[in-house]
Amino acid sequence: MPVSTGGWEQEMKEYINVCEVEKYYGSEAGMTKAVDRVSFTVAEGEFVGVMGASGSGKTTLLNMLSTIDSVTAGHIYFQDTDITELKPDQLSDFRRENLGFVFQDYNLLDTLTMEENIVLAMTLQKKSRKEIVKDSEEMMKLLGIWELRDKYPYQVSGGQKQRCACARALINRPKLLLADEPTGALDSKAAGTLLETFQNMNETKKATIFMVTHDAFSASYCSRILFLKDGRIFHELIRGTKSRREFLNAVLDVLSLTGGESDAC
Amino acid sequence: MLVKLALRNVKRSARDYLVYFFTMTVVVALMFAFNSLLFSEDIRKMFEQAMIMEAMLGLATFFIVMIIAWLINYMLRFILEKRSREFGTYLLLGMKKKQIAKLYMRENVLFGAGAFLTGLVLGVLVQQMIMSVLYSMVSMDYRIHIEMNKNCLIMTGSCYAGCYILALLGCKRKLGKMNIYRLMNAEKQNEEIKESHEELKKWLLPVSGLFLFLFGVWLFFGKNWSTQLVLLFLVGLVLVIYLFYMGLSSFIVCYVRRKGKLIYRGQNLFLLRQFSSKIKTMQFTMGTLTALFVLAFLGCSVAMMFNFYQDRMLAQKMPFDVHIHSEYVQDTFAAELAVIEENARIKEKYLYHIYENGTDQVNVYLYTHLKVFGDMYKKEDGSPDRQVIAQKRNFTYCTYDTYMGLTDYNHLRDMIGLEEVSLNEEEYVIHIKDRVLRETGDFSDQIVVEGSQGPLRFSGYFSEPFSQDGHNGGDYVIVVPDALTAKMNPFYSELAVELVDAAPENLKKELDQAAKGLDFKQVDVVADLDEEETLYANSCCGSDSIVVYVADNLVRDNVVVEVKCMLSTLIFPMLYMGLVFLCVALTVLSIQQLSDSAKYRFRYHVLKQIGMGAKPVAGLIFKQLALFYLCPALFAMLISGIIAGFVGGKFNYYSGAATPVGQYLGISFLLFFGVYSIYFAATYVGFMHNLEENSVK
Repeated sequence: MPVSTGGWEQEMKEYINVCEVEKYYGSEAGMTKAVDRVSFTVAEGEFVGVMGASGSGKTTLLNMLSTIDSVTAGHIYFQDTDITELKPDQLSDFRRENLGFVFQDYNLLDTLTMEENIVLAMTLQKKSRKEIVKDSEEMMKLLGIWELRDKYPYQVSGGQKQRCACARALINRPKLLLADEPTGALDSKAAGTLLETFQNMNETKKATIFMVTHDAFSASYCSRILFLKDGRIFHELIRGTKSRREFLNAVLDVLSLTGGESDAC
Repeated sequence: MLVKLALRNVKRSARDYLVYFFTMTVVVALMFAFNSLLFSEDIRKMFEQAMIMEAMLGLATFFIVMIIAWLINYMLRFILEKRSREFGTYLLLGMKKKQIAKLYMRENVLFGAGAFLTGLVLGVLVQQMIMSVLYSMVSMDYRIHIEMNKNCLIMTGSCYAGCYILALLGCKRKLGKMNIYRLMNAEKQNEEIKESHEELKKWLLPVSGLFLFLFGVWLFFGKNWSTQLVLLFLVGLVLVIYLFYMGLSSFIVCYVRRKGKLIYRGQNLFLLRQFSSKIKTMQFTMGTLTALFVLAFLGCSVAMMFNFYQDRMLAQKMPFDVHIHSEYVQDTFAAELAVIEENARIKEKYLYHIYENGTDQVNVYLYTHLKVFGDMYKKEDGSPDRQVIAQKRNFTYCTYDTYMGLTDYNHLRDMIGLEEVSLNEEEYVIHIKDRVLRETGDFSDQIVVEGSQGPLRFSGYFSEPFSQDGHNGGDYVIVVPDALTAKMNPFYSELAVELVDAAPENLKKELDQAAKGLDFKQVDVVADLDEEETLYANSCCGSDSIVVYVADNLVRDNVVVEVKCMLSTLIFPMLYMGLVFLCVALTVLSIQQLSDSAKYRFRYHVLKQIGMGAKPVAGLIFKQLALFYLCPALFAMLISGIIAGFVGGKFNYYSGAATPVGQYLGISFLLFFGVYSIYFAATYVGFMHNLEENSVK
């Protein structure tokens, strides 16, 4: 299936440029190509989704983008910086200053309360106490977890945990929010709330979001979706002016054509 | 199949529990080495006090077996918890509980046997080290030779097996009670942080501090120690050791909840929360570790105090090569001199008398003013109770004050290299033990020494070491002009001898033998003095305690060795226990941290995701481990510092030594931190290794 980009990138400011990225696992005897010469760009303020079946390389791609994993070949430019060339120390600085993470299993620290999980992300940025108190309160209220601030992660529901993870990811105003199957462990209501939060952040705060999912419902909140198969991008869908329902149908169409997995609600 | 599985499991867990294996090996090595002292033929032949050493080591072994059984039990339960999911899976697959128990036991027997055999090899080395230390302590040459005693092997093996059996019994019960669900969920049991009444519990921290302060004040300044009060303080101390951690954890939780300034700085929030949740879940273990550390510190410090005593004090206590006491004033020491001449070359001999004039004013003053006697010899109004003094004098001092003539005094001073003292006919001096003088201060205004023309004038004190444990007086001797002693009654006789060379090994034994043969003859000579009181009236031993060596025949070179042997019966078991307790406590700390590294791996992974670099994370891990390791150590240092300060003070006070207690406590701490840093480094490296296995760059 041809890749249709339609010259869309030129309309918005280019933010991330992924060039011919490859990732191999294993030894010479048994090499696995997880990501195979993938190239794409993400514009500032975009909400991009990546879909694909298990083993298609979507999480590997996200890990490389988030600097958690290294590339075997190729380059990833973040504005003017080639992040594949950064040293470990520079990478952690880069992560701290530019990225926010939301994962399927929340990755909250179980010894900290909900509020402290958010506060810690700010103290590592060496922000002032006043700023930390003000911003964390504002963020928790925005995401509806203010009442739960003194609870430990094990005392709240999955959706609430994920909103906390989301607040932690967004509190330092990252240039890019990376989400790996963020709704994977949530029920449909909680998933809907979280995705609306993402959309809201994207629209009001102009947050750039890069989300990996295999769930068509989640993907329908994105403004653009990349479909991955065997480590390559084989299709791209742009929402444009379509309603979410129409966009969902388009996604489902693509999935039914390719026989891909679908968890559409 | 089960054996194969057991072997594979041991191999797999060997790296995780390397520290545990190391400790068990060290424990076996120490057990073997110290047990070999119990059964060593050489030692039995060499030392008269071998029996005491055996008894003390036996006692130490008892405590060590208990504590090792606790460690094994702790480890077995701990590993069981960590592997509960695996055991649950075995159950799900259809294995019987009995089979699983058998598998687990087999693994542990394999593990234990491995540690035992390695420990034995190491034990032979440690045995040689201990033997050479022991021999050098008593100034003897040791030629390296390996002693593999059958009984020693049996004892070490049975102690070790005993520890295992004790521990395994408890664990088997636990395994029997578990069902699949509980096994599958046991891993998660400690993950929930339950906080309740933290505001209330945080007060345990200041209360613990206050208790320790009061405990210190009571130890150093308390006077009336009733049994109830002692018990109350001891129970309080044990409670405080355990409750301190509850208080500390709650205090930190409250501080974090109150949003104290500190939490907004760098990684503090994470560090404080990690630390408080860890000590909250481990407060009982932390308390036990603190108690073990305290015992280790104290054992080590007290051992060093005794060591100081034997190094410095013993020689001082006996300034003369040979010093012989005789209750009989007519004694010419002919038999003793014959024995000495037969065995050694005499450089100088000096026979003299100690005199009395029927007064006991100094004795009475000391009986009623030294702290060691308390109010024992006082009436209710504080005046001396002469009746009690007469009935219960306990041989501290003779029945009368002890006097010495100036010529004798100066001759003896000359023999031991001290300057001569000059006195006018109307003057007297007191030669007194330094320890006693420090306590009493000048008391010359309390006594009157009558001369031929009225009372003599006090001219001063001398307090050099002067063989005053019953030879030159109990604690003191009053030195007066010869004209005055001529009018006094000879009280008892003394013979001081300086030898050309060191005294031969058996001189004291020979002298004692000779004295035994003389007893009947002498008693016949003085048959008219048949009253027991008169016979022992001139026997005394002074007010020193803790380490006291009182004998009629003192041969310095022999006695020093004998007392050193006696002291090493205390020093060795104490060091043995201290070392084992330390290793046990550090193992628990290490294993706790290492096995938690899997859980922590996730936490550090998250920290890296939110922007912490590898170096800051490594620094954070270091801080976290150090905090966790230091907390019980510092708390134990505080407690043992208070107790050792008190014990050292008393030790100095009663033994007359000037042991630098602080210095020895410091050395104990240094020794401790030496062992500590080995475990800490091993833990840190292991921890980092575990984290790196699946890390974010």
